[in-house]
Amino acid sequence: MTAATAPPIRARASRDDLIMRACLGLFALWLLVAVALPLWSLLSKSFQDRDGVFVGFANYLRYVETPALFQSFWNSLFVAAATTAIVVPLAFVYAYALTRSCMRLKPLFQGLALIPILAPSLLPAISLIYLFGNQGLLKGWLFGQPVYGAVGIVTAQVFYCFPHAMMILVTALSMADQRLYESADALGASRLRVFLTVTLPGAKYGLISTAFVIFTLVITDFGIAKVVGGRFNVLATDIYKQVIGQQNFEMGAVVGVILLAPALLSFAVDRVVARRQVAQLSARAVPFEPKPRRGRDLALTVFCLGIGLTILGVFAVSVWASFITFWPYNLTLTLKNYEFGNFDPLGWSVYVNSLIMASASAVFGTAIVFLGAYLVEKSKGFGLGRGLVHLLAMIPLAVPGLVLGLSYIFFFNMRGNPLGVLYGTMALLVVNTIAHFYTVSHLTALTALKQLDQEFEAVSASLKVPVWRTFFKVTVPICLPAILDVTIYLFVNAMTTVSAVIFLYSSETKPAALAIVNMDESGFTAGAAGMATVIVFTSAAVKLAQLGLSRLLSRTQAWRTR
Amino acid sequence: MGVSGGPPYLSIGRLTKRFGAFTALDDVSLEVFAREFVVFLGPSGCGKTTLLRAIAGLDIQTAGTIHQDGQDVSSLPPAERDFGIVFQSYALFPNLSVRDNVGYGLVSRGKSRAETLSRVTELLALVGMPDAGPKYPSQLSGGQQQRVALARALAISPGLLLLDEPLSALDARVRQHLRHELKDLQRKLGITTIMVTHDQEEALVLADRIVVMNHGVIEQVGTPTEIYRKPASPFVADFVGTMNFLEAMVAAPGTVSIAGRSFRVDSLNGMKPGTAALICIRPEDVKTRNVEPGSENALEVEVRSLEFLGAFARARLAAADGAGPDLVADFSINLLRDLGVEPGLRLPVALPADRLRAFPKAG
Repeated sequence: MTAATAPPIRARASRDDLIMRACLGLFALWLLVAVALPLWSLLSKSFQDRDGVFVGFANYLRYVETPALFQSFWNSLFVAAATTAIVVPLAFVYAYALTRSCMRLKPLFQGLALIPILAPSLLPAISLIYLFGNQGLLKGWLFGQPVYGAVGIVTAQVFYCFPHAMMILVTALSMADQRLYESADALGASRLRVFLTVTLPGAKYGLISTAFVIFTLVITDFGIAKVVGGRFNVLATDIYKQVIGQQNFEMGAVVGVILLAPALLSFAVDRVVARRQVAQLSARAVPFEPKPRRGRDLALTVFCLGIGLTILGVFAVSVWASFITFWPYNLTLTLKNYEFGNFDPLGWSVYVNSLIMASASAVFGTAIVFLGAYLVEKSKGFGLGRGLVHLLAMIPLAVPGLVLGLSYIFFFNMRGNPLGVLYGTMALLVVNTIAHFYTVSHLTALTALKQLDQEFEAVSASLKVPVWRTFFKVTVPICLPAILDVTIYLFVNAMTTVSAVIFLYSSETKPAALAIVNMDESGFTAGAAGMATVIVFTSAAVKLAQLGLSRLLSRTQAWRTR
Repeated sequence: MGVSGGPPYLSIGRLTKRFGAFTALDDVSLEVFAREFVVFLGPSGCGKTTLLRAIAGLDIQTAGTIHQDGQDVSSLPPAERDFGIVFQSYALFPNLSVRDNVGYGLVSRGKSRAETLSRVTELLALVGMPDAGPKYPSQLSGGQQQRVALARALAISPGLLLLDEPLSALDARVRQHLRHELKDLQRKLGITTIMVTHDQEEALVLADRIVVMNHGVIEQVGTPTEIYRKPASPFVADFVGTMNFLEAMVAAPGTVSIAGRSFRVDSLNGMKPGTAALICIRPEDVKTRNVEPGSENALEVEVRSLEFLGAFARARLAAADGAGPDLVADFSINLLRDLGVEPGLRLPVALPADRLRAFPKAG
């Protein structure tokens, strides 16, 4: 370098850059309001007494010293550990059959296993009551033990968590390199040895990730423990009792913070695992192609058939029971359980509420999520803003619905908060739902955007085309399948979610999934089953519509064919 | 060589680009004249793409200035500069037809449909794809996609055409073919063009001037002949073409000693006797025909091995008496036959004094 250096240059932002930065700013604000600030108010509430005076760890001490409360902590750990121990092996074998065998009808088996996702977690719990409850058909199978309690919770959780575990494991097992198996064969390794030295290590991170996801799902789920928990208290029901039952907001906040811990841990583990997973499969790997082996394929088919039929059966019990006159004494079919007005003052309008909430969450959520992901991925400069928005977008994954809902109570009821007018409105339910399911949607959109050529924006700039035109003419059309995924994901989750909205609905805005909780509470189990059935079929219809629509996209858009 | 008189069209002044602690461009200055075809050549990581992106405004430099057509564009965003660009990936919009891709920049300039359409037709004819309009990029071969990308970049009649490794994603045959088309097109349109490549052959064929870069600095700027014949540094000598590197000591003015033998060298680059030097000679410059033993710079060698390369063969030679440099030399197939060259043969060769280039030995 010669004597004096040239003067430094500051890049001048173009009009496009300025627009994108302004939008990023708005996004940071939206995520602050919808995620960060509510969580902050929850956290600070847990350190305050009833009058809002800072009391340090006093609330936490009281929590640990109250045996009735602290017991739930252990109860939660127990059911979560038990469910994980049962679900992970079952889902592993199921996923193995789907990815590594020549079993027939794989799409059918995959579809069967995904059924529970379409339903609120309450549904398997309701089915269990019909089967093993006080009036259960198969009550005798439990040798006089009540289904209410740990047994019921774990059983229902297994059903509810199965598809989540299966999906992660299918992804993990799909990433296999044929060449590793060929080398193992060439070296004369036995099947067991190949399984232990190639298959299992390859799926290791998937298994770890699954275990943590399932553990978190169980700990944070509210519906199942509410319906079949009986007197077996867990954290999720405690938080509800503290807040709704006893109006003890401080203790609710403490339980909320405790509930946040396993979720945060699992989130951290998942991040680490995801980073390691990247190096697993190089670009040159040869995708694994299973070869037929009669004995194995048959055994796996029998296994999957068993699991698939059980899932279908559990699902069918609720559907069937919802058409029964008086379980189990009068099994004639009837539609009177669908006259929801008899069980809930709002009647069918809870379903309308749910449709409004799900549609609004899907439409606004998709727009917000996609635009946000676009700004994070494509805006230039302003690294701080981008990093902040991305970080905020990742938080909801680690926040259980109940905790987010409770945070909303604190934040939107805060004295002097102008956003307080939203409290009790449908708008707040929508904001909450979008925030609750933000991360997965954000990541889906981000993945799709990362697959676009990095230079589209550069080309557009060189052609003097404004960035918004390329966004609408190129980016959005290409990402349409991912956008559709996000929309459906938000819709189905908004239809089935119970946990976050339970703290936020008002008598006019109550959604259908919550009507199930209420009906079950008041002893109208048949009505609850009916409503659950309506939700399942709505979700299923939407899923099928998505399938049809994406087929249509690939058929009508010539450029998608290669 | 395409260099017109008058002020430069593009003038780069002391450009530096840092990514954190890494300096990608270190105080680079360069002038490009109107209608010139300039190629940035260098290994990956040498800063050539960084320089191109700085010229486009895509990654603005840390320090230094860029003037284009008399205007200071140093800090302008890409949208406010005047250039067309073709990327290695082509970055064609997959959901738009070829016609819409090429017309993409025209529509937002308020051109009428008819005007746009006729311009698109003209451009597609120009790149030799008059019938591709209704097709989608995925239906085209790599070479065809490259032409569409070129047509799109040319559509808005930019003052400067930037090409970022446009041919490197293609297979060898298509690449050679397109190379010539690109050169013809550039001549015909007379558009100032800068291309980035790591392929020295491409650079030699296409460029009016080559800018050889390494480690963020310009090693040499010159015509292809200058670069090949008179490399300014051992790096350039090594990177472009094949080169014998012989360790030597300057013995006297105009004389070096290599492995104990004396050789005469026309130019010693100002090196004083006693300095360690690197003497370079291209394999094809080693004189193998009609060498009289005892003539200037001659030595007796033995053929160690032969590598058949089609039109010629490359031989590894070692001094027959063991004292002297190992050499690589090219034999035409004719000569190979005439002399009966095969491993083990001894023959005299000479290193012509005017073909020897001397550099100070680094370190």
